Amino acid sequence: MRATGRFGSAALTLYFWAFVVFLISPLVVLVVFSLNNSTTPSLPLSGFTTKWFHAAFTNGELTGALLRSAEIGVAASVGATLLGIMASIGLTAKKLRLRSFTVALLLLPLVIPYISLAVGLLILLQALGIQTSLAAVVLGHVVITLPFSILVVLPRLRSLDPSMVEAARDLGASDLTAFRLITLPLLGPSLISSFLICFVTSFDEFAIANFLAPSGTPTYPVFLYSSSRTPALLPEVIAVGTLVIAVSLVLVLLAEGGRQWAERRIVGTSKPDFDGAELSNDLAALGRA
Amino acid sequence: MAISTKVTAQRSPGPGRFRPGRGSLAIPPLLFVLVLLLGPIIFIGLFSVGLRSNIPGASVAFTSTNWHDFLFSAGNPFRKRFAYSMEVALAVSILTTIAAFPLAYFLSFVARKHRYTYLLLLLAPFFTSFLLRVIAWQIMLNDNGVVNWLVQAIGLQPHGDPVKWLIYSNFSVGLVLFYSWVPFVALPIFAVLENMDHKLLEAASDLGASRLATFLRVTLPLSLPGVIAGFVFVLIPTTGEFITPLFVGGPNNQLFGNSIQSFFSDSPDWNYGSVLAVTLVAIVLLLMLVFGRYLNTDLRAAPSGGDK
Repeated sequence: MRATGRFGSAALTLYFWAFVVFLISPLVVLVVFSLNNSTTPSLPLSGFTTKWFHAAFTNGELTGALLRSAEIGVAASVGATLLGIMASIGLTAKKLRLRSFTVALLLLPLVIPYISLAVGLLILLQALGIQTSLAAVVLGHVVITLPFSILVVLPRLRSLDPSMVEAARDLGASDLTAFRLITLPLLGPSLISSFLICFVTSFDEFAIANFLAPSGTPTYPVFLYSSSRTPALLPEVIAVGTLVIAVSLVLVLLAEGGRQWAERRIVGTSKPDFDGAELSNDLAALGRA
Repeated sequence: MAISTKVTAQRSPGPGRFRPGRGSLAIPPLLFVLVLLLGPIIFIGLFSVGLRSNIPGASVAFTSTNWHDFLFSAGNPFRKRFAYSMEVALAVSILTTIAAFPLAYFLSFVARKHRYTYLLLLLAPFFTSFLLRVIAWQIMLNDNGVVNWLVQAIGLQPHGDPVKWLIYSNFSVGLVLFYSWVPFVALPIFAVLENMDHKLLEAASDLGASRLATFLRVTLPLSLPGVIAGFVFVLIPTTGEFITPLFVGGPNNQLFGNSIQSFFSDSPDWNYGSVLAVTLVAIVLLLMLVFGRYLNTDLRAAPSGGDK
């Protein structure tokens, strides 16, 4: 027996596609209004233009904020991925005291509300007599993205064949050499995933950046928030937003596809062409983003 | 958050289990999290009981005045805000879970062959900036927005008379939160449906159960772990939410997170703000203690579901 009758199937199919339209409509609206020749994003459309893109890229504050967020994102994702590798290797140790405590603590940033962490970091800086700075934003972003990195790197590390590392050691390699020549290359694809997930999260993070970025040097999300109160800026914000959305979609899909391809090449296992389960898992890690 | 318990769940022995790690390597990341996660939480704790202050020269001594005021004073506005926030979080979580179930059911039982491609379609918008999607909703729902234009164009509302409750209302905050979380709730429900032994459905029908009876007495009970996980996926982050009301909420629709935010941006009273920040952390940890064990939805742990 099929789980649903013909009528049920049709109703569910309709429901699903209606939902897809609902989910995608805000993105479509952004794309349409980024090309609309009007200062207000409202219907009816008033004609095609690309002037908002030109205007956006000659707006120093906007491009400055974008660049700042990109730099912070790179720094935070490199930091989180390095710490994520260390934590993952630590967690694969045969013996580890306080294992469940370690795991719980390393994953705790997933549930702590960003707003509480943000004001806590602000207080911590103040108590230590340190000025707020973009470096502080990077540190905050490393904390919140570290669990994502561990959740991507650790399962990959666990799936490796330990005999390869053992063979390297038998052949005289030191632990560090074995790691550099064997483990690291095998981890490669998951490191790219980790880097991307952390970057995307950092790039979009508002709470911590809002409290720790010094005024005058806003990150892109902080700039978005302040400019949402300036209607004249809206078309430029929409134009850049469209590009940001397009780039992030292409990047994540390419990286995911590339990672799966690379893993098949390295391990030589046969997997379906497009492993949706794998992707969904990585996506689930984005849940907080 | 979604796969937060996967790390422990995958400890089961199997071929190729990689165990040559060095426990000491976990120390630097652990210290990092201790200082930069527990440190801030300890400091908001100290602030909340007056043991530290942001005002130079102010006297510091233990006091429970702020806690007492927040917890017990009659009609405390922040306690009211907290109760309101929890109501919103609960309502959004329930509605989101109800809406997500048929999506997961469709993927697992109707879409079958292309289910992972369809799942991607559902999740694709969430690769993109959350802030930008909230701003997009602001553009769609405002008085001159797309939705109001459509409503007036098809004659549901007279021209020049926009529907006021579409934006800066409970509706807009609820809608955007709902929009943001439905796909993530569908994910764990989809995972349990995929892991379900589909022979049970055949057994039920062999024994004479109708489709509805099979659904109510087999599928639905078996999918409950996924349903609860999905529910918690929304409940925990929504409890601390403040960005959505900032963009699409009016003064009356701000959540508890917004109260914290404004204490630290507009008011000098960090001590009182810390009481609220500690409360939020405590509630979320409490929710994790209660529901944490349901948060395992690793699709890869599933027996590979091919022939069903």
